[in-house]
Amino acid sequence: MDKSPSNKKMRWISGVVVAVALFVLPFVLARLGRTGEFWIWVTTEMIIMALFAMSLNLILGFGGMVSFGHAAFFGAGAYTVALLMKKAGWPLYLALPAAPLVAAIVAAVIGWFCVRLLGLYFAILTLAFSQLLYMIIFQWYTFTGGDDGIHGIPRPEFLDPTNYYLLCLVLFLICFVLMRMIVNSSFGLSIRTTRENLERAKFIGINVRRYQLINFIIAGAFAGLAGGLLTELNRFAQTEFLHWSKSAEPILASLVGGMYSLVGPAIGSAVLMFLKIILQQAHRSMVEMWAIVLGLILLVVVLFAPGGLVGLYERLFGKSES
Amino acid sequence: MTIEYFIFMLINGLSQGMLLFIIASGLSLVFGVLRVINFAHGSLYMIGAFVAFSLSTLMAGGTLYSFLVLLLVVPPILAVIGFFLEVSLFRRVYGQEHLLQLLLTYALVLILDDLVRAVWGGDPRNVARPEILAGSVDMLGLALPTYNVFVLAVGPVIAVGLWFLLYRTRAGSVIRAAVSYPDTLGALGVNVSWVMTSTFMLGCWLAGLGGVLTAALANIDLGIGMEKIIECFAVVVIGGLGSVGGALLGSLIIGTGITFLQLPFGRWALVFPYALMALVLILRPWGLFGKPER
Repeated sequence: MDKSPSNKKMRWISGVVVAVALFVLPFVLARLGRTGEFWIWVTTEMIIMALFAMSLNLILGFGGMVSFGHAAFFGAGAYTVALLMKKAGWPLYLALPAAPLVAAIVAAVIGWFCVRLLGLYFAILTLAFSQLLYMIIFQWYTFTGGDDGIHGIPRPEFLDPTNYYLLCLVLFLICFVLMRMIVNSSFGLSIRTTRENLERAKFIGINVRRYQLINFIIAGAFAGLAGGLLTELNRFAQTEFLHWSKSAEPILASLVGGMYSLVGPAIGSAVLMFLKIILQQAHRSMVEMWAIVLGLILLVVVLFAPGGLVGLYERLFGKSES
Repeated sequence: MTIEYFIFMLINGLSQGMLLFIIASGLSLVFGVLRVINFAHGSLYMIGAFVAFSLSTLMAGGTLYSFLVLLLVVPPILAVIGFFLEVSLFRRVYGQEHLLQLLLTYALVLILDDLVRAVWGGDPRNVARPEILAGSVDMLGLALPTYNVFVLAVGPVIAVGLWFLLYRTRAGSVIRAAVSYPDTLGALGVNVSWVMTSTFMLGCWLAGLGGVLTAALANIDLGIGMEKIIECFAVVVIGGLGSVGGALLGSLIIGTGITFLQLPFGRWALVFPYALMALVLILRPWGLFGKPER
């Protein structure tokens, strides 16, 4: 990583500028009436999905492990909020912190088995577990509502769209700072060592499995928070949140944005969602074409730019991140 | 449970398993040689089913003749599609990270599934069975649906055919050599990239065959590809990645397992493949028939 002082300063300045712009954004959008409200909703979802993508990237980019079951934790968080608020009548400020907790517990159980495997087998086992959870939630009609999902989750009065946007943004920034601290800590460095060279990591005394499991749990917790936030935004939870195509979303975002940086997946996620919305706005029938467009983007990235947008930017401007 | 009912369920389960085997063996074969898990295998299977539907309407199907034409024509069409996919796309990612390979095939899923939606729409369809396979057949004092018995018979034919191809022909030795020692094989003057292309075509051929057989068995819609590919994953994982014999065993376990578990558990039986897959991966990640790698 480039540690020259001027560069570090530039990073800080651009970070603060972006954060301030994000804080001002909803107040600008609120002046635009109906379309503005729509865009506040969209940007809120973007922030949430960016958090989801970044959480996966702790495993994927920094841990070097391909998890195809990250939706399990997203869904666990989503259903935790939905069930606690709808069935147990908990208020949001209690249900929301429960989401990452429950997701972390689920991640601990699943991860305990998964980190024993390597490469492709790890990917398939994570997929198997997330499908298992998906099927259970799908079938357990009396508890989870099956494929109807859980609707009509209450929303505290003070949380109008703008305030909810601000809540999500603040939580996102906190998570971002936390993840940055984790990635740059000695723990984060160890995790990156296991990615670069597993054998070597073992030789220098890193308890690889334990580190990977802890990393898996942390990532699961962040994903759970994202799931909880989306549930409250939509005011419903559905089985779709756990479907394996949901697990693919943050992977695509990481790939498009660039998975060897912290913000890459967030940018990738926002860019993909933005493209989708633009396409929808351009023409109604384009909604059906979205999968083809996404598939083609993916093909191009896989074949020509495996470093993603951040990688492309760094290649063009001659910087190198890690 | 009476013994008749048991046999009835068994035949049903085994025929489901055989159908699964035909599709999953293609996935397993392709993984064995190409080392790529093809997410798009389910989409190719779905394309096979829909092409069968279109051809059968074109021929005003329902006769034995038209059904045989489907069986002979559709799988090669898929093999040709496979040829173009392998040469233009898959070839570029051999030896790269698993992630890039998986995402390439996932990109294909997105594209192919949407193309199927654009061409055939979302309505459920099916292919009329020829009269001779439509009714039921008396066996062991039971009236069994003829078509299920037919599928049950096709499965072993394919299994034996694959076995013969792999273990009794020169092409088979080359394919098996490509699984274990691709570099040596190349050094011996065999065109390895052509071996890979033809193996991939064979995998697609099997997906196409599975598609035709499914189209006449049940309604087909846009969801069948996604549904089948996950089941195939379970089969291939249980049997062992790359092992055709394992795929047979895995398919039969899953086919009969789901059928029998449906009696006490109803729709909960659908959890079974995933639970079994997770269990096998935990206890024996290389599958029942596979060999540990690395």
